[in-house]
Amino acid sequence: MASGGGSTESGEPEFQIAPMIDVLLVLLIFFMSITTAEILKMDASITLPVSPSAKKHDPKMTKMEVAINVRWDPKATKATFLVEEKEFKNPADMVPYLRGRIEAKPNLRALIRGDRMLPAAEIQRAMDLVGQAGYSDIAFSASNKDKEGTK
Amino acid sequence: MRKRHKKKESSEVNLGFQIAPMVDVVFVIMLFFMVMAGAVQVENTHNTKLPGTVASPTEVVMPDEIAIRIEDDGQVFLNDEPLDTPASKNLPELARNLSDLQKVSMAGQNEVMVTIYANELARYERVVDVLDALTRAQIKNVTFQAVAPE
Repeated sequence: MASGGGSTESGEPEFQIAPMIDVLLVLLIFFMSITTAEILKMDASITLPVSPSAKKHDPKMTKMEVAINVRWDPKATKATFLVEEKEFKNPADMVPYLRGRIEAKPNLRALIRGDRMLPAAEIQRAMDLVGQAGYSDIAFSASNKDKEGTK
Repeated sequence: MRKRHKKKESSEVNLGFQIAPMVDVVFVIMLFFMVMAGAVQVENTHNTKLPGTVASPTEVVMPDEIAIRIEDDGQVFLNDEPLDTPASKNLPELARNLSDLQKVSMAGQNEVMVTIYANELARYERVVDVLDALTRAQIKNVTFQAVAPE
């Protein structure tokens, strides 16, 4: 134990600050990475519905998806459609844009992120427009749990 | 005289790197991220296919069709039979019935196809609740009532 560090001449183990800081920093980086990687990169004004049984969204699929965010304003009772942060005042204008995207990259999937308070008619409209643009593969986004943490 | 003495004291304060406060701060940051890790929201998806126009080379076996209707107040009907209450989020009765239907169809080597008829003012959240119940019942063929274009 002479050169091992962490022990005195009498053989008693000694507390070493440097390895502890190393371990702490590793743990810190680990927890930082898992929290920041999982945070949803999505429209902050949309509260997703909760669906704990749905399949976990594969982050690798992000490149193969086009996200359609559907906001809901309960005061104005109006839905707002956004495709990749681009707002469409007239939802029908999304069709040529979406068509352009799928022509450039076939097998693209449409990921519909709708607010939980959204009327079903607006989601059906989004599906209709996505279908008109030539998409066959669609996904409905949901959260694994509420913001409060209840499933 | 007194003031001068104070100045001297402050100049003697050690401003070197202190390991103990750094460890404290790192501990606090780590605790924050540990707590946050438990409350992280993850995005889940329900994947489905829209009807295509490609002709199938093989004969298509028509599956057993089941209709689920969602009313504006959130009441769910399975083939016109009301199940669960509008306040019930997990829809246990619907999931149980769908699971039984799935088992019966599997025994008869048929596939179950569910069509969701959501009223225009029914909340999207309720549609996702129904999709969640369908996932629990392991039913994969789900279609939606088409909306007439405006």
